[in-house]
Amino acid sequence: MTSVARRPAPARHAGAEAYPGHRQPAVPPRSGSSRGPRARPRAVRPQKEGGRVSARVVLSVITLGAIAVIALWWHSTPDVSGLGGWLTGAGEALGLLAGYGVVVLVALMARLPPLDRGIGADQLARWHAMGGRYVVSVVWAHALLIVWGYAVQAHTSVTGETATLLTQYPDVLMATVGGFLLLGVGLISMRAARRRVRYETWYYLHLYTYLAIALAFSHQFADGAAFVSNLAARFWWSAMYLTVAVLIVWYRFAVPLRAFARHSFHVIGVRQEGPGVVSVYIGGSRLDELDAEPGQFFRWRFLTRSMWWSSHPYSLSAAPGKDVLRITVKDLGDHSQALARLRPGTRVLAEGPYGAFTATGSGRGVVLLAGGVGITPLRAMFATLPGPVTLIYRASSPQDVVFADELDAIAAARGAVVHYVIGSRAELGGDPLSPRVLRSLAPGLDQQDVYVCGPDGMTSAAITALRAAGVPKRSIHRESFEF
Amino acid sequence: MRRVILTIVGTIAGLVALLSFKSHLPTVPSASVSNTGGSTSTGGSSTAGSSSTAGTSGTGGSPAPSSSAATVPGEFPMGSLAGKLPAGETAVTGHVATTVYGPVQIQLIMRNSKIVKVAVLQQPMNTANDIQIGEFAFPKLIGETLTAQTAKIDAVSGASYTSAGYIQSLQSALDNRA
Repeated sequence: MTSVARRPAPARHAGAEAYPGHRQPAVPPRSGSSRGPRARPRAVRPQKEGGRVSARVVLSVITLGAIAVIALWWHSTPDVSGLGGWLTGAGEALGLLAGYGVVVLVALMARLPPLDRGIGADQLARWHAMGGRYVVSVVWAHALLIVWGYAVQAHTSVTGETATLLTQYPDVLMATVGGFLLLGVGLISMRAARRRVRYETWYYLHLYTYLAIALAFSHQFADGAAFVSNLAARFWWSAMYLTVAVLIVWYRFAVPLRAFARHSFHVIGVRQEGPGVVSVYIGGSRLDELDAEPGQFFRWRFLTRSMWWSSHPYSLSAAPGKDVLRITVKDLGDHSQALARLRPGTRVLAEGPYGAFTATGSGRGVVLLAGGVGITPLRAMFATLPGPVTLIYRASSPQDVVFADELDAIAAARGAVVHYVIGSRAELGGDPLSPRVLRSLAPGLDQQDVYVCGPDGMTSAAITALRAAGVPKRSIHRESFEF
Repeated sequence: MRRVILTIVGTIAGLVALLSFKSHLPTVPSASVSNTGGSTSTGGSSTAGSSSTAGTSGTGGSPAPSSSAATVPGEFPMGSLAGKLPAGETAVTGHVATTVYGPVQIQLIMRNSKIVKVAVLQQPMNTANDIQIGEFAFPKLIGETLTAQTAKIDAVSGASYTSAGYIQSLQSALDNRA
């Protein structure tokens, strides 16, 4: 009866901003509420279609913005001639793209509800990580091309031109400091470095990106040929930066504080679910107004002396109740250990709900495929999804299985099936989630919706197997907590 | 890894395509000369010839470009010299030549029908890079002018628009010399 939490700790994140939150579903405490674990499938709220945007729409908007940026460059560039002209022209175009790219990267992480609900925080974080590498590269390509191009145009050395740029050009020195900050943040986010850095360290160093963007802002208008004599361009560019800044302040600060004031989140109790696994019950008022769904997660900030300064994403590990939410966390880091010592009454700031890993309401049968700690959000969905449900639960050892009692009880009550696939690959003699095995565990697999949650490697392998078993891509829903 | 390579290659290809479109445009820079500029202001004082006191008239036509520009570092005279000429020299101011980067206007200092100095009254100054290009280009252009004594001089590579504006303004000054 345990569930697991998303991994708080450093271990494998590729590195974007949302530490992979793995969301654990919350269920009302068994004893406290009159309802106990939900035995009967309950009708799922029809999915709110409004307020979600699809990945295609978002990518189209980002692309259109990039085209507009290139058009701005085109408009401000008379022509390109000679080596110096080519280098400078490329440097200017990349500089504009970088100035646009940082805004997009920040906007992706602004926790905008339509993005989080429509695309999912884990997918956004993957985009942010990929885009971040790209933008940092573009920033530096811009800097180097400009230095080189100006040096060629002025017939000076690259070293001399670097000194000239830093000392004579307005605000270039500040922008250079910003560029180094961005580079530093990019480096610690790379996979290899990421493993050695604590989550909190990584998170707080990431905040320097705001400083970097602020430092680099003014050199765009002071030195950029596209802006110096174009008031309209300066206006719209500023408006873009300002809009994203307002969204950040609103959704990352104002909204959580407002929710705290309205719902008064606080710890009700902590329960040891098994070795190294704890559930935390969080109470509050009017929680139904949150419209949280099984499969979603919140970012939690426990207001104790040692924990108030960082927030962590944990999935609800049971269907959200009217006055209580549950998260379940596996003991993987300092933070999750500290959770076990939480006292009832501790106040909590909760941001959310986040995540697009929710029931689609298609009315078809559903297969839930959990890997290890990935059971938590699926535990909540298992109790609440309508229609026939099959749960396949992959764990590498019996100790790693959490929530077994709850899962069995739910299965018995609703006539659903749970398959435990436990043991190492060697012990099981082959691929435990091969297309053949999957088809035999879940007959009619290719006609059903499949929800996969687990570590990144497991979800990728499982999706490959599901595709091979004939499940269409659009029927596969993935939540990966390591992103 | 494949995606990384594709992204890099795609970005470079996109940039090259974009820039080559721009470089296929007519590459001869143009500068238009506006008659409203400083054309009428031949230096050397209203008393034509070349007599003693040099032209106070140089200030006449051109829109006071000099004073602020004087703070910009450069190896060439900036701003009108008309007010402080020794005897025997006259100032002749050229038209304002408009380039895509900004206006260019020069002033010739003549002695015995020879160009002895060239001052820059206006130059593109929108960005620090414009100024840096000017610092590099104008000394060369002025050197060529003093040697050639005509407007038939070569443009400076990397500063083709500025060169075109300079040559236009120079030509108009020479035309006004009479």
